[in-house]
Amino acid sequence: MAVSLTKGGNVSLSKEAPNLTSILIGLGWDARSTDGGDFDLDASLFMLGENGKVRSDLDFIFYNNLKSADGSVVHTGDNRTGVGEGDDEAIKVELTKVPASVSRLAVAVTIHEADARKQNFGMVSNAFIRVVNQADQKEITRYDLSEDASVETAMIFGEVYRHGGEWKFKAIGQGYKGGLGPLASSFGVNV
Amino acid sequence: MELIRGQKLKLADVTTSAAFEVQIDVQSNLVVDISCFGLDETRKLSDDRYFIFYNQKTSPCSSIVLEASPHSAGFKLNLSALPPAIKTIVFAATIDQEGTMSAIGPSSLRLVENGKERLIFPFSGRDFASEKAVMVAEMYFKDQWRFSAVGQGFNGGLSALLKHFGGEEIEKIKETIPAAPKVNLGKVTLEKRGAAQKVNLTKQGQTVHINLQWDEPKGGFFGSSAVDLDLGCMYRLKNGDRGVIQPLGGNFGSQNGSPYIFLDKDDRSGAAADGENMYVFRPEEIELMVIFALIYEGTAEFTAVNGRVTIEHKGNFEILVPLNNPEGGKRFCAAARIEPDENSIRITKDELYFAGHVDCDRHYGFGFQWKAGRK
Repeated sequence: MAVSLTKGGNVSLSKEAPNLTSILIGLGWDARSTDGGDFDLDASLFMLGENGKVRSDLDFIFYNNLKSADGSVVHTGDNRTGVGEGDDEAIKVELTKVPASVSRLAVAVTIHEADARKQNFGMVSNAFIRVVNQADQKEITRYDLSEDASVETAMIFGEVYRHGGEWKFKAIGQGYKGGLGPLASSFGVNV
Repeated sequence: MELIRGQKLKLADVTTSAAFEVQIDVQSNLVVDISCFGLDETRKLSDDRYFIFYNQKTSPCSSIVLEASPHSAGFKLNLSALPPAIKTIVFAATIDQEGTMSAIGPSSLRLVENGKERLIFPFSGRDFASEKAVMVAEMYFKDQWRFSAVGQGFNGGLSALLKHFGGEEIEKIKETIPAAPKVNLGKVTLEKRGAAQKVNLTKQGQTVHINLQWDEPKGGFFGSSAVDLDLGCMYRLKNGDRGVIQPLGGNFGSQNGSPYIFLDKDDRSGAAADGENMYVFRPEEIELMVIFALIYEGTAEFTAVNGRVTIEHKGNFEILVPLNNPEGGKRFCAAARIEPDENSIRITKDELYFAGHVDCDRHYGFGFQWKAGRK
């Protein structure tokens, strides 16, 4: 049974799934049911050091940089509408391959052209982030953002981080004004 | 507190009361209907009685009550009296004619408790493109009552909205609901000559009511200068029948036979509160109907009587045609005409003044044979 988190909650992935080596971080939301421009949401991941910044721009994994230099993080690609059941976008992480200099993986979702399309997360329904054990495809934890998403156009959904010798996951639900650019800048990416 | 589209909050953050009003004001020349939907936990309209609109103004539990005036509607809500099955209340604005929500002006939804505004969600045509039905905002129960400024909608209008809620088609729902007195959400004034309004005849066989009222000129005493205005019409039906209905000559028409137009009574003073009334029982049969007002007796002219014609389809529309461009010296005014428009009818303000019936007939080309008559 997957652990359901609320904003701010955390869970030890290593304890929930002993011998965990590889995870899939799934992100989903409902396609727009009303008329108007589609909601094109983009997932991205920041590989962060102890200082909370990327080591280099290559640690910013997004639709134009789908794979980390070390191969530990792979973004499975862009979904432009949110149509379909289950995950709309997914990022695979080989935890055992993540360099020791990376202490946190921050997973963010941004709304493409949010200003031009006059969209924000409050207009998107049923957004979630979940972590799946790739070995047995079982969901370890899930965070439903429905009530935490409001007028933001960029949000950190969750974070996978080292804690002692374990990997943990925290439900963040923190919004940022502005889009992917300002968010990336805040993590030290040169955009 | 002012919200923007997409913003969500807990109702407890703005009010501790379960009883309050939601007021929706829409600035528009279009007829914008305000309604509200009580949905179950799957966001479906599983109980049609929780579609609150101008023909069904109160929910069975009386915890949602619509009070409306033109372009403005207020819902009195009492969440504590709502059945537990109702988990979401959606407030909607819909257009049931030509035009889209992009044409509305500065509008707002406000939550008011005890006369105090607790939140306001401003919206306008700039938020929309081709939508004809918009979910303005919703309240929903998830651990507690919450509020969301939705501001999204459907190009397909009310029926698309109902489909979204899994409800029956609007026509089916309307059939199951007994007709009730209309609130004036559909009130339109045709100010200028040539102004036209297309209206939908949502129910076949429903009566169009035409009313003529006027004021007694000031200064006149005890009827010596009383003005007698007659309401009448010239018509041609799709089956070719044509004729004139007016008090003059006693041509009051017929409800049960052709032309299915009936003139109710002759108010000879203008003092009766309800003026002169004519009913069109089969508006869908009309090819051309010219509604006229005639000054039969008295010295006054149209310039002095402030004549106004109202054309009403109960529960659907009310169109006011003020005779506000009066010409002196002419006693016959062709106020408006009704013509078919696809599956509906179109009402156009003409307000053309003639010396009498013959000139009017000549203008519209009915081709009647005329002879003098007297009441």
